[in-house]
Amino acid sequence: MQTHVTEVGSDFDPRAKLVAVMCLSSLAVVFQRPLPLALILILAVLSARYFRSDAVQAARRLRAFLWIFAAMAFVQSLFTAGGAPLLSVCGISLLSTLGLERAGSIVLRFLVIIVSASIMATSSPREIVQGLYQWRVPYELAFMVAVAVRFLPLLRDEAHDALTAIQLRGLKLESIPLRQRLQIYSYLLMPMIASVLGKARELAVAVEMRGFRAYDRRTSHRTLRMRARDWGVVSAAVLVSVGVLGVFMHM
Amino acid sequence: MSALLCVRDLSYSFPGKDSPLFSGVNLTVGAGEVVGIVGLSGSGKTTLCHCLSGIIPLIRTGDMQGVVRVMDRSTRDLTPARIATRLGIVFQNPDTQLFFPRVEDEVAFGPENLCLAPEEIDRRITAALKTVGMEGFRHRNPHRLSGGEKQMIALASVLSLDPRVLIFDEALSQLDAAGRKRILDLIGDLKRDGRAIVMVEHNPDNLVVAGQMMLLHEGTMSKFDGQWQRFAAL
Repeated sequence: MQTHVTEVGSDFDPRAKLVAVMCLSSLAVVFQRPLPLALILILAVLSARYFRSDAVQAARRLRAFLWIFAAMAFVQSLFTAGGAPLLSVCGISLLSTLGLERAGSIVLRFLVIIVSASIMATSSPREIVQGLYQWRVPYELAFMVAVAVRFLPLLRDEAHDALTAIQLRGLKLESIPLRQRLQIYSYLLMPMIASVLGKARELAVAVEMRGFRAYDRRTSHRTLRMRARDWGVVSAAVLVSVGVLGVFMHM
Repeated sequence: MSALLCVRDLSYSFPGKDSPLFSGVNLTVGAGEVVGIVGLSGSGKTTLCHCLSGIIPLIRTGDMQGVVRVMDRSTRDLTPARIATRLGIVFQNPDTQLFFPRVEDEVAFGPENLCLAPEEIDRRITAALKTVGMEGFRHRNPHRLSGGEKQMIALASVLSLDPRVLIFDEALSQLDAAGRKRILDLIGDLKRDGRAIVMVEHNPDNLVVAGQMMLLHEGTMSKFDGQWQRFAAL
């Protein structure tokens, strides 16, 4: 029987990483104030470095969504009453110190989640599936995680191909008004989804024809084994989380 | 020659359609025999493959009449998992057959589903990769390989289940000349190994290894005399 193959940057059991990620993400959800969230972000960055995850690259990939974070932060600051007003129009406070604080918290929370999630990218989907399966998560569910990861690039490629095809017909997307551009995106959505669903069906048939769900259980070619360093990661993640909770809950 | 795949009076209609896509299809494929089926786009080649491999009626629906027997058992009496140990199918698009980021895991998927022992799984991975000449790719990411190499891995994933019957559903259509030659050479080896093989193709040129050729046209299947000019004129 083989145990998992060590690779650069992924020589920890994915279950140990999963515990660390769950601890960091849970802390980010529990706290509302910027100070503890900033500390949790520092912990997340240090963890990402320890696991040799490229968190910067992960954040860069999400660049296109940054405006959504900014918009959410702005809306949050707009609708938060309280604190000293920083910007007012006709007596209506548009920006307050409390609003700014909440917006900052949202951005920090997103960053914690992105950075900590990038840690999981250092394990292969197969290892994650195996880890979940050994945690007694039904294989069908664990396998779906791997397939979902597999389909994200397919969805991106479909979108890219559709946009390229439209631009090859002479349409300059960047030079048309936003409203029309959104309309064009909506036209692309249905064929894109239909194509991806078609591929998903083909994949499902291929999987079934290779004996998927043949029995209630299955064997594994490679079995993961938690080693001392993995237990060390789990213990450290739990202890640090409890410590952070204890310190900031009493402040 | 013992028949590993036997089809009798097969017909199929899509759900909600009255007229059948094809009917009266008869086919017998013995050990060490390659049967080629040609047909134009839309003639029902892929649907026929689905019927031969048990995908219809076990996974997809529709009105299937007649009998398909794989190694003396009707596909209606088998589960997809039981069929998988008897019959393997390689599809047109390798990208929708591969889902793990390592060749070894991909090939291991089938034997793992069948609850084989890890040592046996390892033996099967080695044997399947050796058969397709891809031993050196065991730890590579299949998604970063060429189309021909991906199709070889898809075939190795099927061969790891050791089926005696193999169906190739336009498996050469997305490959370049070198990729096609590799697969065709391999099909020749599998034929000599005593497997029963059905090759379904749009392009008759890809059927050079077939000993018998059939034409699926306008809902019926008949012997194809190999006159490509006649096929091209259809």
